[in-house]
Amino acid sequence: MTAVGAPNAAPLVRIDHVWKQFRKDAGGPVLHDVSLTVGRGEFVAIIGPSGCGKSTLLNILARLTDATRGEVTLASTQIRVAYVFQGPRLLPWRTVRRNVEFGLEQTGAARREVRDRAATALRLVHLEEHVAKYPHQLSGGMQQRVALARGLALEPDLLLMDEPFGSLDALTRGYLQEELLSLVRRTDSTTMLVTHDIDEALLLADRVVVMSNRPARVKEIVDVPFGGDRSLDRLISDPRYPQLRTRLRELLRPEVSDAPPDGGGGSELDRQRVAAGEP
Amino acid sequence: MTAAPTQGLAAGAAGAMAGPTPPSPRSDRYRPRRRAWRGARIALSALLLIGLWWLGSRVYANYILPGPPTVWHSFTDAVSRGAWTANIGATLLHMFAAVAIILLVGLPVGIVIGRSVIAEDLTRVWLVFLQTVPTVVLIAIALIFIGANTRSVVAVTVASGLAYFLLNVIQGTRAIDRDLVDMAKAYGAKERVVMRSVLLPSVVPYFLAGSRITLGVAWQVTLFAEYLMGSNGVGFQVSTAIKLLDTASVFMWGLSIVVLTLLFEYGAFRPVEAYLTRHTRRG
Repeated sequence: MTAVGAPNAAPLVRIDHVWKQFRKDAGGPVLHDVSLTVGRGEFVAIIGPSGCGKSTLLNILARLTDATRGEVTLASTQIRVAYVFQGPRLLPWRTVRRNVEFGLEQTGAARREVRDRAATALRLVHLEEHVAKYPHQLSGGMQQRVALARGLALEPDLLLMDEPFGSLDALTRGYLQEELLSLVRRTDSTTMLVTHDIDEALLLADRVVVMSNRPARVKEIVDVPFGGDRSLDRLISDPRYPQLRTRLRELLRPEVSDAPPDGGGGSELDRQRVAAGEP
Repeated sequence: MTAAPTQGLAAGAAGAMAGPTPPSPRSDRYRPRRRAWRGARIALSALLLIGLWWLGSRVYANYILPGPPTVWHSFTDAVSRGAWTANIGATLLHMFAAVAIILLVGLPVGIVIGRSVIAEDLTRVWLVFLQTVPTVVLIAIALIFIGANTRSVVAVTVASGLAYFLLNVIQGTRAIDRDLVDMAKAYGAKERVVMRSVLLPSVVPYFLAGSRITLGVAWQVTLFAEYLMGSNGVGFQVSTAIKLLDTASVFMWGLSIVVLTLLFEYGAFRPVEAYLTRHTRRG
């Protein structure tokens, strides 16, 4: 078992010079030579302008689509992957409980275990009173919490999340972010979170991967120095927090020139981690 | 291609049994008291129809327009001879054999066509042919190839109804939500699980719409085929009765089918439909 949050732990995910070009898409490649390694137990946030291919990267990791060039390797074939999508993507004909059980059912776990773990996950997202309802009877935010529970119930080795809190109200979002934080710190889960939200990235992640505008390259990787034990309150009182925030804001500012930075390739950029707080 | 289930050319036949229409914006005008009035109006129109029938039967001769008592007598007579049960049973057998064949063949074939462009191209002409060829021509062809018997009746019914059912299943298969399939695959679902947990449930509304049209077509075509080439069944009895100017029997068989259709609709089809679409109910 590796130390939680240690960025140099044995890599669980290795993304190696990945390009993605959709057929019939004249707009050029979506992903442009993206390289990234994610250690076991690490929490990586991927942040970038909309439509820059962040979701495509997760889809490649979930094997929903193939990379045009380059390779994505997971540490073993036994790795249990959960994917929380931008929309809830619930099965309308299944109750809340049965939706949460869906991922677990695919693991071949015993019926009883499937039930128990689904119930635990539903308590975590505070939906234990709605287990017998169908998705259309819930609000959009509740549906997204069901989707979150479906992913968490799996206790995945790799948790992929594509703006999972985007549709939630601020209170629920804050609560679930902290729940997620304590959950992934408690377990050995490796998490890759795509987000638009700088504060969310800083609250949750060990590293923030900043992507450039399309074609998406890894523009910069920013280490987040707040350690394992954090909360929104503690972050706000930390002097490094506003600095990091400003830094990320600047990185995300729309680019005037589209020329790649000196030294070119994303593979180089991968190693150019910028220590937190540096100017 | 619209997302709504295909009504096809049989919309007329099926329209009479169409399911509850979604509440119109005006429907909240109908408070309970108004609903009672509506019931009363519907009952009034039914009584008016029976009254007109009764009056007409006193004007016209019995062999042209038999009155309700004559038709009732014809019914009790047929029941006591055992002819009613035997022929209704034969017709139901013809019809449900055909419907069963359509559903069992149509569901898998429709899914295959819906998922494969090759299968779609290969079957396109067949489907257009089945959908457009007149039933009378099918009956004529069946008479030549199979002869005047029960198998012909079933074959013609299958040929008439299959295309409508298939078109619905094909459309349902195409309308499947790719995001749900991706979700299932991301969670490691095997092809078999995707089929059972995602594809089949999303085809259900189209399956039901197709079944409804198929039943509407089957009731009509089975009787028609029996009339022209059957050796038993309600259609055959009607053809025999009209040759003998036994108009009371024609009315009796017609009303029997009306009642049976309604019984089947409310006693079997709607409960099954409500069960299969239970997840769409609010509550």
